[in-house]
Order: sequence, then C-alpha cells, then structure tokens
Amino acid sequence: MENMTNPHLQVCGINKSFGNVRALLDVDFSVRRGEVMALVGDNGAGKSTLMKVLAGAYSYDSGDFLIDGKNVTINSPTDAANQGIQIVYQDLALCDNLDVIDNLSLGHEPTKGGIYKLLPKSLRPLDMLKMTQKAHAAIEKLKVKTLRSTSLEVGVLSGGQKQAIAIARAVSSDSSVVLLDEPTAALGVSQTAQVLDIVSTLKKSGHSVVYISHNLKDIFQVADRITVMRLGEQIAIYETAKITPQELVVAMTSGVETDSQDKKDLADAC
Amino acid sequence: MLANSELKSKNIFANITQSKFSTFLPVALALIVIWLYFGLTTDAFFSARNFYYLFLQSTVVAVLAVGITIVLLLGHIDLSIAAVAGVGAAIMAVLVSQFGMSAPLACVIAIFTCILIGVVQGLLVAIIGIPSFVVTLAGLLGFQGVMLKILGNDGAINVRDSFIRGITTETLPTTTSWIILAFVILFMIYNAYINYKERAALSLEVESIFISTLRVSIVTLISITFVWVMNSYRGIPVAIVILLCLTLLFSYVTKNTPYGRALFAVGGNEESARRVGISIQKTTIYAFAIIGGVSALGGIIAASRYASVSYNAFSGNLLLDAIGAAVVGGTSLFGGRGSVWNAILGALVIGSLGNGLDLTGATTADKLMVSALILVSAVAIDAISRKKGKKV
Repeated sequence: MENMTNPHLQVCGINKSFGNVRALLDVDFSVRRGEVMALVGDNGAGKSTLMKVLAGAYSYDSGDFLIDGKNVTINSPTDAANQGIQIVYQDLALCDNLDVIDNLSLGHEPTKGGIYKLLPKSLRPLDMLKMTQKAHAAIEKLKVKTLRSTSLEVGVLSGGQKQAIAIARAVSSDSSVVLLDEPTAALGVSQTAQVLDIVSTLKKSGHSVVYISHNLKDIFQVADRITVMRLGEQIAIYETAKITPQELVVAMTSGVETDSQDKKDLADAC
Repeated sequence: MLANSELKSKNIFANITQSKFSTFLPVALALIVIWLYFGLTTDAFFSARNFYYLFLQSTVVAVLAVGITIVLLLGHIDLSIAAVAGVGAAIMAVLVSQFGMSAPLACVIAIFTCILIGVVQGLLVAIIGIPSFVVTLAGLLGFQGVMLKILGNDGAINVRDSFIRGITTETLPTTTSWIILAFVILFMIYNAYINYKERAALSLEVESIFISTLRVSIVTLISITFVWVMNSYRGIPVAIVILLCLTLLFSYVTKNTPYGRALFAVGGNEESARRVGISIQKTTIYAFAIIGGVSALGGIIAASRYASVSYNAFSGNLLLDAIGAAVVGGTSLFGGRGSVWNAILGALVIGSLGNGLDLTGATTADKLMVSALILVSAVAIDAISRKKGKKV
C-alpha cells in the first residue's frame, strides 16, 4: 500500500468566480487514502462549488490539481472519472424505472463479443451474466444486507438502499476518490447508520472519501479530519478527535484566527 | 432476516404479478373480455375469417404503435407519424405508378426519406430544444401538406403494383408457418434452459421454474392458436410477418442492448442518464429516425391494404389509434415504461372494438365514445401505477 499520510487527491490555491462573485478564494484541500475528510461550512461557504470542481463539473480559474503528487488536468466529469474520482450527488440520480443491476451498469454496460462485434456497440446484446455478477460484487463489497434482490426496480427501494446503490455505482468503476454530497440528509436513523457503515467500509478498502454534511453528529462519527470553509475560503483543518462540536460550530459561523496552530499542523503542505 | 420473511409471505399470485413478464396482463385481460363479449353477442365474431381480417386490419396501427413505443419510452411523443406514413406511401406510389420504378426500390427510397424526416424532427427536439409535442405537431400539419402536394389534385393515387398489393394479399404457405413456429418455440425453450443453466452455474438468482415454464407455455399456446386460426382461413399475411419481425427486432433493441437501456434511462431520469455519460441528444435523434422509418413502413402496408394512397386514409384516426394502442398496451406517456409486444395487443384491443362494434351494427358515434373510454382507462391505470411506484 502507498504511504497513507501523503495526500491522494490534493488541490492547491484554487480560485473560482461566477462573474463578479468569487466563490472560491485560494482554497487548499486534500484527502488521503483510507481517510474520510469531512467538508463543512455554512450555506454559501463554497462547499458545493469545491465539490463540483473536484468532480470536474466546474472548471476552476486558477490553481493546481494533483493526484498522488502529480499534476493533472480536470476539465470535465469524464476527466475526473478517468482519474478515479466519482461523485454521488444529493439527488442520487438513479433511474427508478430500472432495476439495481441496470442502474449499476448504466452507461457502460458490458456486451457480448464474438460475432456480435460486427454490430455497432450500442446494438450489441448485453452480457446480462456479467452485469449481474458486477452488481452482486458491488453490493457485497459495501455489505448492503437489507437488499432482497438485485432485480428489484430501484423505485421500490428505501432511501438508505437507494443511497447505497448510488454509492455502489460510484465505486463499482475503478474509483479511488468518492465524493458524497449530503448522503444522509433525507434519511431516518437506521438508514443513516446503514450509510455510515458503508462509508466506513469504503475507508477500510482504501478509498479517499470526501463527505459533505450539515449533520455534525454524523461527521463526528465517521470523519478522520474536517475541513472548514467560510465565505469561499478554507479557514481550518481539524483532526476530528481533537475538537468538540461546539468549537466546530464557532469556526463555521465566526471563523478562526488566521494563525491558528491547529490548521498549520494538519494541512497537507502544498 | 428481513429477506426471508418477505420471501415466504409471497404467494404464487404475487410471484406472477411482480415478475417483469406481467406487464401484459391488463391489456391481455381487456382483449379477452372484449373478444368474449363480441363472441357472445354476435355470430360472426368467432370465425377464422373474421379474425383474419381483424388482424390484417390492425396491422397498420400495430406497426405505428410499435414504432411510437420507442419514442414514448424516451418520454417524448410524435404526433406526425400518420402524416409521415402518408408522405412515405405517397412517395412510393408516385415512384412506382408515375416513374415506373421497381416497387422494392421505391419502398427503400420512401423509407429512407422518412428516416431523414425523423432525423430532422429529432434534431429540432434534441439540439434546438423544442418540445417534441410542438415539433411533431408542426410536422403533422406540414407533412399532411407535403402528402397533398405529392398526391396532386386528386388527393389519391391508386396502387396496383403486384409487389405492393402482395404485402397484404399474399400469405405464407401453411406448412412454412408451422415449421417457422416450431423453430421459434424450440429456440425459446433452448434459450430459457441455457439462461437458467448459466445463472445456476454461477449461483446467481434465477427466475422460479414455475414462472419460466408459465411464460414459455403461454407464448407457445398463443402462437399455436394464432397460426392455427390464420391457417384455417388463408394463412398468415406477409404484412403480419413483417409486423412480427419488426416487433422482434425492436423487442431485442429495447430490452437487450445498451441503446435500449439508454432509452429507458433517459425516459426514467434524464439527469441520471446524462451523468452516467449517455448522450441524450444521440439517443433522441436515433429514436426519431427509427419512428420515421417505421412510419413509412406502416404507410406502405396501408397503401397495400387499400390499393391506394389517399389523403383521407392518413389524416383520420390513424394517429390517435396508434398512440392509443401503445398506451392501452401499458406504455407510459410519461416515459421509461413500456413494451413493444404490448403495443400489438393494444392495437388488437382498438381493432377488435372497431370490428366488434361494426358487427353489432353500432354507429360511428358509439365507436368513438367506446374508444375514448378505453383510452382514458388505460392512461388512468398508467397514472395510478406511477403513483404507487413512487409511494414505496
């Protein structure tokens, strides 16, 4: 395994403006392998903008994007996916009318080879066996125990199960970074626990997880480090074990002194 | 733990209604009820001759319904199918009767022209972003005009070419029908068996043997009855063979290919489809290209059936019958749900109502009102089942 203390994904000095509005100001952010990095901040702090920059959905105006210390160019979601970065949006974007197997392979379905190679790719017969196996592998990897069958339509699943399927879709391709946007916002207690379990599983399997949430309870349960954003700037990085929820709330709402020792110790050098 | 108790509480009925195979049940039941009613109230309904003409009569609507199912799956609509069918038929008729072109070549040219029409409509929907309802409404008006222009002042061209006429007057030799049917059934059983074995070998979940057997038996029973009824009058018309091949092809495309998944995905959740990298624009343009070609095919079959191409034949009920057939067959107007085989059943429901009401001496007024009732019930079932799906 690679060095666990070096950042796997890192951005340095990222700036992003929408017209006159400067949404991100010289933001440094990093996440290591096998780590859950929470991203918190009040509304309008720039969390979602940063997340979209990381996922390639927004292009940034200036700054560096590094994977394992190497400079990369990320201009589109496809670029991000090619670098192993996957995002699970809050609205999940699953097709309720398709079953779990179909959703997990959607957009890159395996097809049969041989004589069928003569047909254009989108008209070759689907390799249902491979699709089913792929789905089973993805579900087992995340230890989703409550799912009765992979041939159920996603529309009939519970919120937690849907979240699990969306995460499974993100990690079933060769991803190393998973960005989760408010994964528990719409869930009840037991389903939240189920999703947090999945996040731990991802962490154990060496994924870098970026976890956006407003729910401090979830964050303190699952995150290793916490990046705080305020008014477009990254103002602090804390180790979860060394801070209380009260201190975090103060940092989110009124900021921290710029030379705070916590921050310097924990930020990965750019 | 949850899994086991739920499995046990499911009885056989739930097993059937929850399998994907079951979507044809409502329309099949409707068809059986309609047939029983007319069978009991009129003498002529249950005769091989009547069924022969009923099926032949429903073929044009069925072809268009199968085609429009593709567009409906995508969550779009095409109101121009009947007009485009008319343009296709008119082009074919003019090429054959006025330019003396060979009929097969004229058919190919007509079909390609209509594919092009479909592509243009698809571009307007997918690239410019005009709602398909508006684009194809304009298409409906415009192509009726084009059809009139091609047909000239009389508004009709007679089609006496033997190749074209043969599509609806020639039939398959009875033994050929039986041999083809035997192969189809054997292939279906073989397929089900191989599928079962492969999945069992990899210890994946398999469809219960009861359901598989039931499915194969039902399809076998229906097709044997169909061939037997048709053969006891004049055999299976070429047009119906064309319809079945077309449906088989589209069934494969919609259910077993990445393009089919893209259709369902875009119709179900466009944003989701976009994020996984499906090109919404290409998927949409291809769908409209397909419906263009299918419309032309439907138009040619209609020209064969009536031995003429006339403005009236393509400007009347054809459009609404085709959309109605697809919807009665369980295809959702909201996108993402539907099946091409069910569209044939839907076309039979619409055709049987017309045929049966004719036999009972009903007026056009009665026919229109009954058709409206059937259509509204079908859409109501669709809307209710959508709500149910969301609630869980």
